[in-house]
Amino acid sequence: MSVTQLHPAPRPAPTPAEALAPALALVHVDKRFPGVHALKDVSIEIRPGEVVGLVGENGAGKSTLMKILSGVYQPDSGDILLNGSKTRFVSASDAMRQGIGMVFQEQSLLTNLTVGENIYLGNEKQFSRFGIVDWRALYAAASRQLEKVQIDADPRMRAEDLDFAARQMVELAKALTLEENAPGHLVILLDEPTSVLERAEIDILFARVRALRARASFIFVSHRLDEVLELSDRIYVMKDGAVVADLVAAEANVTQLHHLMVGRSLQAEYYREPLQKPYREEVVLELEGLRHAGAYRDIDFKLHAGEILGIAGVIGSGREELTRTLAGFAPHDGGKLIAHGKSVTLRSPAEAVDIGVGYIPRERRVEGLVLFLPVAANITLGDLGTLTKHGLIDTREEKRLAQEWVQKLRIRTPGIHTLCLNLSGGNQQKVVLAKWLNAKARILILDHPTRGLDVGAKEEVYELIRAVTAEGVAVILTSDTLEETIGLSHTVLVMRDGVITHRVGAEPGHKPQQVDLIGHMV
Amino acid sequence: MNSIIETIRTDGLRQWLPLATLILLVILVGAFQPAFLEVNTLLQLASDTAVLFILATGVTFVIMLGGIDLSIQSMASLSSVAVALTLSRFGYGAFVFAFALGAVAGLLSGIAHVRLRIPSFIATLAMGGVLYSAALVTSRERSITLGDSDRAYLGWITGTVFGIPNVVVIALIVLAIAHVLQSRTRFGRYSAAIGAGEPAAYASGVKVDRQKIIAFVLSGACAALAGIVLVGRLASGSPTLASELLLPSIAAVVVGGTAITGGVGSIWRTLVGALIISVVRIGMTFLGVNIFAQNIVFGVVLVAAVAITIDRSKIPIVK
Repeated sequence: MSVTQLHPAPRPAPTPAEALAPALALVHVDKRFPGVHALKDVSIEIRPGEVVGLVGENGAGKSTLMKILSGVYQPDSGDILLNGSKTRFVSASDAMRQGIGMVFQEQSLLTNLTVGENIYLGNEKQFSRFGIVDWRALYAAASRQLEKVQIDADPRMRAEDLDFAARQMVELAKALTLEENAPGHLVILLDEPTSVLERAEIDILFARVRALRARASFIFVSHRLDEVLELSDRIYVMKDGAVVADLVAAEANVTQLHHLMVGRSLQAEYYREPLQKPYREEVVLELEGLRHAGAYRDIDFKLHAGEILGIAGVIGSGREELTRTLAGFAPHDGGKLIAHGKSVTLRSPAEAVDIGVGYIPRERRVEGLVLFLPVAANITLGDLGTLTKHGLIDTREEKRLAQEWVQKLRIRTPGIHTLCLNLSGGNQQKVVLAKWLNAKARILILDHPTRGLDVGAKEEVYELIRAVTAEGVAVILTSDTLEETIGLSHTVLVMRDGVITHRVGAEPGHKPQQVDLIGHMV
Repeated sequence: MNSIIETIRTDGLRQWLPLATLILLVILVGAFQPAFLEVNTLLQLASDTAVLFILATGVTFVIMLGGIDLSIQSMASLSSVAVALTLSRFGYGAFVFAFALGAVAGLLSGIAHVRLRIPSFIATLAMGGVLYSAALVTSRERSITLGDSDRAYLGWITGTVFGIPNVVVIALIVLAIAHVLQSRTRFGRYSAAIGAGEPAAYASGVKVDRQKIIAFVLSGACAALAGIVLVGRLASGSPTLASELLLPSIAAVVVGGTAITGGVGSIWRTLVGALIISVVRIGMTFLGVNIFAQNIVFGVVLVAAVAITIDRSKIPIVK
C-alpha cells in the first residue's frame, strides 16, 4: 500500500502569538494498546489563542490523543508541555485543574439538574459554608459564566429545557470556569461539538469560539472537514497513529485533507474489489414500505444472496434505527419484512437469529463479545443448540469447532481458552464473525465493522467479508466512511431524514463517486 | 489495558485463595483441638454444612447471572412448615409439595424480575416477606414438632449409607447436578455469558429472560430442599427455622470466589465457601464466641471477601 508523501505547507510569517511558548504541546508521544500501536511518536503544539483542527479517519488516533490531553490515558513515552514546562496529567480532574477544558460530543450535562448546578458540578465548595451551599452566590456566578459565552439562559433552568445548541454553550461556559483557578492559559478540547447541531447553531458556536480566543486556545476535532477548515488556524492530519501533516488552514482544502487522511491510491485493491462477485438471484430478505415512527419510513429493498448492500447517511438519517430493526432490537411498526417467503416481526435478537440474521455491532466489546468468556465459548454462543445432545453440550465437538474457526479465520490468539478480553480489536472482530459463521447466518448485519481497527486488521476483515459473500451470505453494511461503503458494496442506498433518497449499483470499475452520494445525504 | 491483563494473571493465584484459606483454617482449628480432625467430627462438619451448601447452591445460580435472591431463608422456613403440616396427610408427598412450592415461588420471583423489570433484590426481598408471612400464618406462629408416626418418613434424611450421613449424600447429589448444569448445559453457559456481558449474550440471540427465570426456579427449589433437610435434622418445622441462614449462604458463595457481579464462579467455589463458613462457625464455638454474635463475624467476612475477590479500582460505579 502506498502512502501519500507528506508535503509540509510553507510556514507563514511568525505572528505575535507564535513568538510565545506553546500553551500546550505533546513531544514525541507514543501509546500502545494490545495489538494496536495507537500513537506513533506524535508531536503537536497549540499556541496561545490558536484554534487547532485535528482530523483523521476513525482509528487514526484522534481519540487516543484527546484522551492523553485530557488525562484519561497516560502516554507510554514522550512529554506533555504546559506553557513550556513539563507536566503530567494523572487524571481528568488533574488535567482540568491545570487548565484543560473539555466539551464532548456526547454532552455531559446532567439534564435533571439546573444550568447553574451543572456549571459548578463538583466545584460547589467555593459557594458553601459549613456544608450548606449558598445557591444565590452560585447562580450569580453561573450567570457571569453564561455571559462569557453570550447565551441568554437562566441558570436556574433545568438543562433538559435547553436545546442542543444552548447546552453546548453551557458546556463551553462550564469549561471556562477553569480559568478562575488554572495557573495559565486555558486549552479547551472540542470533540465533535457540532455533530448534533444545525447549521445556524454551528455558526453561533463558531462565533463564540472565535470571540473566546483571548481567553483560551482550542483543539477542534471533527469529521466535517469543511467546518475544520472554517474554524481552525492550523490543522494537524493524523493517519494510522501518526501526524502526517501540519497545515495552515487558509491554504488547505477539503480534497487535500481527505487525500492526506486516506493516504492511499490503490483503493480498489484495499477493498478487495477484484474479489467482488456478482450476487445471486435468490432474495433472502425483502422490505416493503418498512416504517418505524420517528425513525424511518417507506423503506423498500430486496437483499440477495451474496450481495453487500451499503447504507449511507448522516446521523439522524434513520439508517442506524433501520439496522437495529433488522438485528431484532427495535421492531418495525409498519410495512412488511419478508424472510423465507413469510412476513415477520423481529421482537428480539433471538428472533432475528432464528431467521438467519447475525449482527456484528459497532460496540464490539459490549454487544459483540462477552469479554470475560473464552474464545471458544464466544464462537459457539450463537448456536449452542446443535452442539447439545441429550441436554448436554458436546465439549469435545465444541473444542474442535472453535479450533477450526480459529484456523480458518486466522484468529491470532494464544488458544481457544483465552479470554476475548486479551485479543486485539481485529481478532476480536474475527471472533464475532466466527460466531455467526458457526451459527450459519445467511444475513450479516455489519454495523461499522472496522471501527477502531488498524489498517492491517481492516484489510483482513474486508477479505473475510468478500469470502463469506462469495459463499452466498448477504450483508447489510453501515460504515463510518463513505469510501468503505462504496468500496465494499454491490448496491448503495442513501438515506436522509428517514427515507431512501438514492440507490445506485456499485460494480467494480463502476463505483459511484463520494460527491454524488453526499448530495443525497445532506 | 495492560493492568487488566495483569489482573487476569493475578486472578490465576486469586482463585486458589479460598481453598488455601479453607486448608489453613482446618489446620488451625485442628492444632487447637485435635479432636476436630477425627473422621466423626469431620462427618459431623459435613452434615452441618449440607443445609448451608444447598441454600448457597441455589443462590449461586442467580448470582452467576448477575442477580441476587434474598428470599431463600424465608423459603426454606416456609418449606419446613409445609412439610410439618402436611406430612401426616400426604406422607412422602409432603416433600414433593414443599419442593414444588419452592419452585413456584422462584418462578414468581423470576417473572416479577424479568417481566416487570424489577431489580432482583427488590423482587426477592418482597417475595421473602410474602413467604415469611405465609409461614407465620400457616403455622400459627409456632414451631411444629413432628410426632413419632411422622418421623418414620424422615429416614431418608436422618439415616446413613456406609457410615456416611444421608444429608451429606443429598448435598453431594445436589453438587453433582449443579456441576453438570453449570458446566455442561446451555443454561450454565448462558448464565455465565449473561453475568459477564448481558448485552452481548442478548445480541447473540440468547433468550436472557428465560435463563433468568430458570435460575430463580432453581434457587427457590434448592431453598425448599434445604428446608426439607432441616425438618429431617430437627424433626420439626417452624417459620423461623432457617432464619440467620441468608447471610452465611451469600457469604459462602462470595467467600468461595464467585463474583457478586456475576459471570465468574462455580459450584465448587461455593462448596469451598460453605466449608469455610462451617469451619469458622465451629472454630468460634471452640473459642466460646456467643452463637448470636456469629453473624457479626459473617458480616465482616462477607465484606472482606467481596473486597478481596474483586479489584474495586476497575469498577468506577458501584450501586
